[in-house]
Amino acid sequence: MNTQDALMAMLPEHLLLGGIVLVIIMEVLGRGSRSALWVALGAVIAASGAAFMLSNAQYAAAPFAGQFSVTPAILMAKGVLLALAVPVLLMSRTEFSDGEFSILLLSSLYGLCLLPSADSFLVMFLGLELLAMPVYALVLLAFRRPQSAESAFKYLVLGGAASATFLMGVSLLYGATGSMSVDAFGPALASGDVMTRTAVVLVLLALFLKAAVVPFHAWAPDTYEGASIPVTAYMATLTKGAVLLAAVRLFSGANATGPLVDLLLVLPLVSIVWGNLAAIKQQSFRRMIAYSSIAHAGYLFYAFLGNAEGRMQAVLFYVIAYSVVNLLAFAVMPQNTDDEQRDSLDALKGLYHRNPFAAVMIAVAMLSLAGLPPFPGFAAKFLIFKNVVAAGYTTYAVLGLVGSYLGIYFYLRVIQLLFMTAGEAAPTEQRAGGMARAAGVLCLVGTLVLAVLPGWVLGRI
Amino acid sequence: MSEFTMGPMLLNLVLWLPIIGVGLVLLAARANDGLSRTISAAVMTVQFALTTVLYLQFDTTAAGLQYTTHLPWIAQWGVSYLIGLDGFNILLVLLTAFLGPIVVLGAWTSIKKDVPLFHVMVLLLQFAMMGAFVAQDLFLFYLFWEAMLIPMFLIIGMWGGARRVYATIKFVLYTAFGSILMLAAVIYLVHSMQQTSGVMSFAFADLYQTQLPLSVQTILLGAFALSFAIKVPMVPLHTWLPDAHVEAPTAGSVILAGVLLKMGTYGFMKLGFPLFPDAARAFTPLLMTLAVISIVYGACLALVQTDIKKIIAYSSISHLGYVMLGLLSLELVGIQGAIIQMVSHGLVAAGLFLLVGMIYDRCHTRDLAAYGGLARLLPVYSVFFMIFTLASVGLPTTSGFTGEFLALMGAFTAAWPAHLDGNNLPLVLASVAVTGVVLGAMYMLRFALTFLFGDVKAPHHSPEHPLLDLSLREKSILGLLTIAVFALGLFPDGALQKTELAAKTYQSLVTTSRTPADAVGVTP
Repeated sequence: MNTQDALMAMLPEHLLLGGIVLVIIMEVLGRGSRSALWVALGAVIAASGAAFMLSNAQYAAAPFAGQFSVTPAILMAKGVLLALAVPVLLMSRTEFSDGEFSILLLSSLYGLCLLPSADSFLVMFLGLELLAMPVYALVLLAFRRPQSAESAFKYLVLGGAASATFLMGVSLLYGATGSMSVDAFGPALASGDVMTRTAVVLVLLALFLKAAVVPFHAWAPDTYEGASIPVTAYMATLTKGAVLLAAVRLFSGANATGPLVDLLLVLPLVSIVWGNLAAIKQQSFRRMIAYSSIAHAGYLFYAFLGNAEGRMQAVLFYVIAYSVVNLLAFAVMPQNTDDEQRDSLDALKGLYHRNPFAAVMIAVAMLSLAGLPPFPGFAAKFLIFKNVVAAGYTTYAVLGLVGSYLGIYFYLRVIQLLFMTAGEAAPTEQRAGGMARAAGVLCLVGTLVLAVLPGWVLGRI
Repeated sequence: MSEFTMGPMLLNLVLWLPIIGVGLVLLAARANDGLSRTISAAVMTVQFALTTVLYLQFDTTAAGLQYTTHLPWIAQWGVSYLIGLDGFNILLVLLTAFLGPIVVLGAWTSIKKDVPLFHVMVLLLQFAMMGAFVAQDLFLFYLFWEAMLIPMFLIIGMWGGARRVYATIKFVLYTAFGSILMLAAVIYLVHSMQQTSGVMSFAFADLYQTQLPLSVQTILLGAFALSFAIKVPMVPLHTWLPDAHVEAPTAGSVILAGVLLKMGTYGFMKLGFPLFPDAARAFTPLLMTLAVISIVYGACLALVQTDIKKIIAYSSISHLGYVMLGLLSLELVGIQGAIIQMVSHGLVAAGLFLLVGMIYDRCHTRDLAAYGGLARLLPVYSVFFMIFTLASVGLPTTSGFTGEFLALMGAFTAAWPAHLDGNNLPLVLASVAVTGVVLGAMYMLRFALTFLFGDVKAPHHSPEHPLLDLSLREKSILGLLTIAVFALGLFPDGALQKTELAAKTYQSLVTTSRTPADAVGVTP
């Protein structure tokens, strides 16, 4: 094991770990509450910057043979996702003042970084657990309402079920192929052996559960509703993105073939349709976003129908476009000490007249999530469906597009509430905090870059 | 003729000026509402002036694109920022630029709340409409096509009538449905082209070369046609229009009728038929039937309306049926008539909606039965009303006559050889279409009769507080529209010259077969 490689290849992870240690020390010394956020921010920015720099330098290495490796593309993905964590941290200023949030988030980000680099199922499992476990606690951390406990518990139990399913699949795959390497998954897709096929299906279903694809989606609305805004934002964007990147790593160069194609055709399509339809009935903003994220998980898994060469680019571009606008909407949401009121769609009524910036930002986010041009969500959906058509699944692409059409209504309804309905501010309502608004501006800049220069972004990833 | 070197730069300026206007309005938003209005009016006027320069410098002897700008945008997908003017869009671009200041001046007093946001939306809409007309790249076109929805959604939804939310959501969902299927067709089309020629490109010029079997052409034309037919609108996809028009504010109705409806016909002319010529020719009988049904059914519906805005809304459906008829005739005279009719309808419908808006501002009702004898109360208003009524009917010397006559002539010119061959359907359809002219006279003159003549009757009118006749602002915008209507009616040659080569290009594109079996072939 080359020490130089071990340091450089895992530089982003080391920086995150350094951040965690520093925050713990500060907590012990009693200085946690004031400065923990800045330390965490510094660690995340440093880690993201390190990943970008290494990627630009075309760095590639495999310091722990068969377990962990990096390539420029993987480093770019890590850099992008870590950069998306910056708005999450900025948003958390008003909800969380102690260091626990920072420690838990940085730990989860560490797991996020392990996933795209995983060469063996052990490291992938480690990454998935490290990604999810801090989030179980984060869901509960702000405890703004009694349902938070129920939400956290649901997520814990179902996340545990997902992990168990994943492990079962991995064990069966090991039994069938004798290898713990992730690269064994690709060839296993086309295999005719019952044990291998079961293994592949179990692993895929575990990922579906983690990403909240129908019919394993039931935990998402409750968990998103019960968590506080920064945590919901994190779950909806980065956690989902990390699971998708893990899936991309699993599939690596293989095209979807055999019995797996049916799973990949039907369940994501049902997700798209069900997610978009169920969101119409929601009265809570976070539940609505949960159902919308179920639909978006459907679009993301659709990318796996496309050919292997364009898959990472399509998934990563979609994750960026989707995350940036989701974070934008959450960042500018007005504050309210009464969490239920804050979450209710009624709080958005007439928001344009009270807080034009927030209203316009939420409107931009909704339109991008709906996939309407000229916002980045359109280009991202276009890329995925283009890849699906190129792989020959035209009918399913058309069905997927019609499914995405079903989603336009509830996004428009939010805009209708913001602009066309009169409403008064709840007595406890306040503008979003300064840090959160800064996060909003960052996300806005990201949205504009993606909308105006998608070619540039695609060229980099 | 020397090349107009400033052309491309001017065209870009014309396109992006509304965005600059949005920036200025946002800066001025905190100040009084009047500043937003002034900025908006100034930006629109400058845009019109520049567009006039481009129109006058347009080279009528060159067949291809002029004033082009071609910059790669998303190179990985073959998408480029490709804009230009040709005979297809020059008149429509001029119409859009002309209606811009008229819309802003028309809404000067009737929009009272959230004025800066209103003007931002109008400017964004102007940008999107211009973009859709000048885009020569399919991805760019689709972007602008969809981008028109949201400003219109807000204009109707925020400043509209009592049922505005219902109307605007219906408008968006209806239009978006067609667009989604069109997107699937676009993706498939470009993918097909990449498979056969190896090149991935969204430029119209490249897409006009694609070879597709008839079955594929049919499905793709169906998807494109659905989207455009919803926009035109063609019966039976027209039901969003009356609600959208009635509930929209005056400015919204003027933009909707003046420009947005032309998008559908422009889409058929530029994309739908030239991209899939074999399917277009195969489905001409069906589409012609739907066009004639639109003409006659739209007119019949207009005849029975009691809401004055709905009369004009249904008349739009009827008038745009002539455009489709002209395009489907594939005769030069018909195609050029279709383009003229597009512009004419834009001017006339804009004028009529402005007039209706002006009386609504004074009397606050759209019920036809509540009005009567306005010729005595509001003489200047009535003169303009009569002028636009007659233009809508298609009186010679107005642009309505030029458009309808040329389109019908095209339909008959194409129908006669078919009749001699034994196929009587086109002749029958053309004859039925002519009755649309009579029906048009019936509903418009019924409207004018009830409205202007007879006993004096007007809500909010009393001898102590008589209704005010048109203000200087109102007279100016109606006057400008009147001049345009008569200019196009009396001197259409300038416009016809500019569209002639484009009409020839359209004719050759749609009559050339592009199925893989026979690469080059002309069908009569």
